[in-house]
Amino acid sequence: MADNSSTQALFDLWKKQIEEGTQAWARLVGQIGQSGQAQPPDPLQFWRPFMDQGMAAWSKLLTQGPPTPELLTQWKQFLDQWIAAWQKVLEQAMGTEAFAQVLGKYLDQWLSLQAPIKKVAEESTEATLQALGVPSRTQVVGIARQVVDLEDRIEGLEDRLGALMARMDDLFKSLADHEAAAARRAADRVAQ
Amino acid sequence: MPDRFTMVTDEPRVDPEVIAQWQEELQRNLGRMKNFTEMVANPKEPSVGPTPRQEIYRKNKSRLYRYESRRKYRTPLLFVPNLGISRPYIFDLLPGGSFIEHMTREGFDFYLLDWGVFGPEDNRLTLEDCVTRILPRMARKVLEISGARELSVLGYCMGGPLSACFIATHPEVPVKNFVNMAGPIDFSKVGLFGVWLDPRYFDADRFVDTLGQIPADMVKAGFKLLRPTMDLTTGLNLWWNLWNDSYVEGFQALNKWANEYVAFPGEFFRQWVKEFYQQNRMIRGELRLGGKPVRLGEIRCPVFVVGAKEDYIAPAACVKALIDAVGSTDKGYVELPGGHISLIAGRGASVHCWPKVSAWLAPRS
Repeated sequence: MADNSSTQALFDLWKKQIEEGTQAWARLVGQIGQSGQAQPPDPLQFWRPFMDQGMAAWSKLLTQGPPTPELLTQWKQFLDQWIAAWQKVLEQAMGTEAFAQVLGKYLDQWLSLQAPIKKVAEESTEATLQALGVPSRTQVVGIARQVVDLEDRIEGLEDRLGALMARMDDLFKSLADHEAAAARRAADRVAQ
Repeated sequence: MPDRFTMVTDEPRVDPEVIAQWQEELQRNLGRMKNFTEMVANPKEPSVGPTPRQEIYRKNKSRLYRYESRRKYRTPLLFVPNLGISRPYIFDLLPGGSFIEHMTREGFDFYLLDWGVFGPEDNRLTLEDCVTRILPRMARKVLEISGARELSVLGYCMGGPLSACFIATHPEVPVKNFVNMAGPIDFSKVGLFGVWLDPRYFDADRFVDTLGQIPADMVKAGFKLLRPTMDLTTGLNLWWNLWNDSYVEGFQALNKWANEYVAFPGEFFRQWVKEFYQQNRMIRGELRLGGKPVRLGEIRCPVFVVGAKEDYIAPAACVKALIDAVGSTDKGYVELPGGHISLIAGRGASVHCWPKVSAWLAPRS
């Protein structure tokens, strides 16, 4: 079984990493916010100290006493907590206006690039299909839209027909009531 | 003279319990290798949707399914999930792990509205169409088929606000009960999506005008960004449990669902982002659909709201807001452990969530 003090040392190390990581992210987000420009973080530079520290700690732990599979469970728990802590840090960073601004700018640029590419691709596909005498995407979409519209119209007619049928049922019912009342009156007259 | 085969050393002897633990670990690793090889070399398409069902109505891409049940309650239940984003087989994922199976086993006459997978021909479909044309028609069909005079509506995720809008604007539809599971209501508390979709940074009009429909890959990217460590956690948990055949079966089914994203029709997306995320009109009472104002206070039937403590798509506070907004006197709220998906799939859901929903609905159905 792993030594308790080693486990404690590991969790202390983990806490230290989280604190350092939070500070690093806060600095990074602060820089983005101040400059107003998207500075892509250098992941290698960012992660290297953590990886080095982690590797050193684990190699130290493995040299102490006979290792058991419980060590793996601890390792898994350590990773889970590490990921959860990072998720929290990332959430905080991504929940800032600075991040939303960067994301918005990125999407704007992507759309600016996408729009002409999409237009050119659509036009060339359309021209090629037309030259081949094959229905183009626009034509197929157009037909599908017509089918959808037709279905809507049929449903509209169904609704109106349903409403008419309901009214007719009411009419037949009141007619039947009238006829019954008339028959009763006639029977009363005969009886008198 | 010592025995030739007896080793005498000064090393401490290894505890037999430790040896047994390592043997077990070795077995698990062999199991991991076996399942890993099978997953890579012979990937099987997981079979999902085990509960027998019948398609009873279709409108364009949308389908209404009725699930087989020993009907114990008179009032049928119409289940309204999210439109776009993902497919609804998550609600009937695997035998023993299916919300629909649970509800039908409890005796509910269960109807699922599958909005379908929309193509470019559906880009003109609006949220208004869904609330004022599709949902009333589906509700009428449920009443027709079940022969009941009233129905219950259960909205999940986006289906929650859609159902709320539908019930509020259609007092003529006899809705007996309304359940909102993880459906966002107050979009001022909607979390990261609310920040990212801020009108100062996200131009919904430009998006829709450029792309037409919002592609499935983009929907996927949005959700992945919401939880950047999700894939890492999933991979790690898979490796950890890879020796366990039933875990692997569940993983494959859930993973299939989690990677099958669905595009948004353009106009629907425009309306959803602008009127809900950016302007929060529904809770403010400023939303109009089909010429009618949407007033949540008009909802007077019994209401049950289920929120999840770690829901990052529809945070609990955002879901809970329905309780204060409706005009019902019989209303209840429950906040359960887990996230958005763990309300509807997984072992936790079958223990914490589904029994609560069926127990609330049963005496009212």
